[in-house]
Amino acid sequence: MNLRIIGALISKDFALFFRNRFFALVTVLGIVAYTIVYFVMPSSVDESLKIGLYAPVMPPVFEQLQEEGLEIEVVESDEALREAVTEGQYMAGVALPADIMEKLLLGQKTQITLYFASDTPEEIKDAVGVVIRELAYLQIGQPLAIEVSEEILGPDMIGMQIPPRDRLRPLFAIFIIMTETLGLATLISEEVEQRTIQALLVTPMRVKELFAAKGTIGVGLAFGQAVLFMAIVGGISSQPLIILTALLLGAVLATATAFLIASVAKDLMSVTAWSIPVLIILIIPSIGILLPGTLTGWVEVIPSYYLVDTVHQAANFGAGWGDVWRNLLVLLGFNLAIVWIGVIALRRKFR
Amino acid sequence: MSLKRVSILLRRELLQGPKKFIVIFAIVTPIVLSLIVSLIFGTLFSEKPKMGIVDEGSSQLVAMARELPSVITKEYGTVSDMKEAVESGAVDMGIVLQDDFDNSVLQGEEIEITAYIWGESLAKDRTTLGVTIVNLIRELAGQEAPVEMEAITLGDEVSIPWSDRLLPFIVLMTVFLGGLFVPAISVVNEKEKKTLEALVVTPTTIGDILVAKGLLGVILSLVMGVVILMLNQAFGAEPALLMLVLVLGAIMAAEIGLLLGVLVNKTTSLFAVVKFGGLLLYAPAFVYLFPQIPEWIGRIFPTYYAIQPIVEISLRGGGWPDIAMNVFILAGLDLVLIVAIMLALKRTKQYAV
Repeated sequence: MNLRIIGALISKDFALFFRNRFFALVTVLGIVAYTIVYFVMPSSVDESLKIGLYAPVMPPVFEQLQEEGLEIEVVESDEALREAVTEGQYMAGVALPADIMEKLLLGQKTQITLYFASDTPEEIKDAVGVVIRELAYLQIGQPLAIEVSEEILGPDMIGMQIPPRDRLRPLFAIFIIMTETLGLATLISEEVEQRTIQALLVTPMRVKELFAAKGTIGVGLAFGQAVLFMAIVGGISSQPLIILTALLLGAVLATATAFLIASVAKDLMSVTAWSIPVLIILIIPSIGILLPGTLTGWVEVIPSYYLVDTVHQAANFGAGWGDVWRNLLVLLGFNLAIVWIGVIALRRKFR
Repeated sequence: MSLKRVSILLRRELLQGPKKFIVIFAIVTPIVLSLIVSLIFGTLFSEKPKMGIVDEGSSQLVAMARELPSVITKEYGTVSDMKEAVESGAVDMGIVLQDDFDNSVLQGEEIEITAYIWGESLAKDRTTLGVTIVNLIRELAGQEAPVEMEAITLGDEVSIPWSDRLLPFIVLMTVFLGGLFVPAISVVNEKEKKTLEALVVTPTTIGDILVAKGLLGVILSLVMGVVILMLNQAFGAEPALLMLVLVLGAIMAAEIGLLLGVLVNKTTSLFAVVKFGGLLLYAPAFVYLFPQIPEWIGRIFPTYYAIQPIVEISLRGGGWPDIAMNVFILAGLDLVLIVAIMLALKRTKQYAV
């Protein structure tokens, strides 16, 4: 293989890519937009139900309460409680009557006032009502013969939940990588349509070198952008080598997909027409990271699942090689198969 | 301008259109997006904790849990199915109710419940679900709550669901995707293939061609706008008024598309301009997406005058007095755009109008 020829082709394609205003703009705007969205998203997760409490007489159960996920803060007056709830300091305000203990001891029903901001969702209102009712049951000592044994499935993330923006990272990384499919497929299909490929092949350049150059430019562009984005948003601070390997394999997947699309498309419009359904399919696995539990096992037939899952596990849970090697191996297998099919399909088109 | 020639050209556009990718794209994308948004924001982004139940007998507790507004309840046939759901995060907590559970509760026997908890579930969701289960069992046992509660709502801000906040964006995208893109690409394609030159050497004028292409954009935009509003059950109480606004919005979209078609010569450049210009077109939707943004910012953008009346009628139950001023501005902008297209044609000196 002649490295000089490959180098010349790469620099020509690189110049052509950025001469196309559409792809140049999409490339730059994509990274900027994803970075902005990332930093605008919340960086932490509020895990607790914050409730303000005004109690002229404090029932002991409220004082002793140490429930994870429930924060009860005492305020000095009913007026202060209303103000704090209106300002959004608490999800709800609870005002206990002065005679609560007497009535509970006498077995009489007592009335508790709950304050909510007008934009509080109904489910929160109901949940607060349920919590307060249970506290009242506990206060009067009403027994319930129940024994609950708990089993936590998966790593217990209490106190270290993954912020929504970090769940979005794999989605953005795959967006960036897969958008390059469009660029490379257009570059190749335009060359085929304009017959410049045929012109190139009558020079000393061989088909192998042509694929090596196209492959390098595709992988380079996709991988470079994904790494840049992940570096900006701190996505490679944990397990950098695993994430870089996954992104590299993802870039190869995008390049192989571009070969396949270029073999059937003729121009920008048909590349777009073919690419959109392909992109949608490849993006589906990242929805499962963003909204856990929404996808079932069938998602594992999509090659990008192994990229997304590896990035998610390594970046958000610090997973090591032992945890993700199967993912990387399957992704490599998919890559080899798609590259092979893509090269064969393109070779036919060159003829 | 000849109406006969315009109708012949329009018929050709209508026959050829469905075969073009961009027309299919303009039809399919808003519908898919609308369905995704209602799916994601209707149920998946709900803050309600999710509880899974495996009922080995036929407990009343399952039906009671299903009635709760604060919890989403899902039933599973086997423990392993439920454990799988908990592990994947489909539910925050899963419990197994043993056979004869209700009798045990009623007779005051000691009950054992195994609760499987998803490791990534939030602490507040775990607390809410735990307390809810205990409350349900108390209810099942016939225990009477020792307290009554009165809920008082403070302030006058209204909680706007995300699906409603996103509706303006979907409507804008629907109206402008078809209305703008289809005429713009059609003109640019004809320029690239030089068929426009062939047409204008016949008695057909460039005006006839642009009107025909613009009409296709208006029809597509209008039909898709109606479909999307119907899909989102947002047609409101003033359908005639809404149609008037949709027509004016569709005309604006088609005019912007024609203006781009006249000014831009290559498909790739058109994509680039639309990609950047899209930010300006869809900017007013952000005012509705994030109510914290002052509404005056939206007024800077021309598409605001199309989307404000639609939102006012479909989501807020508004009428003519609430939208009159913006509708007049929208109609004025439509006229200004016609002048802009004519000026662009003259300035680019491509074809005689």
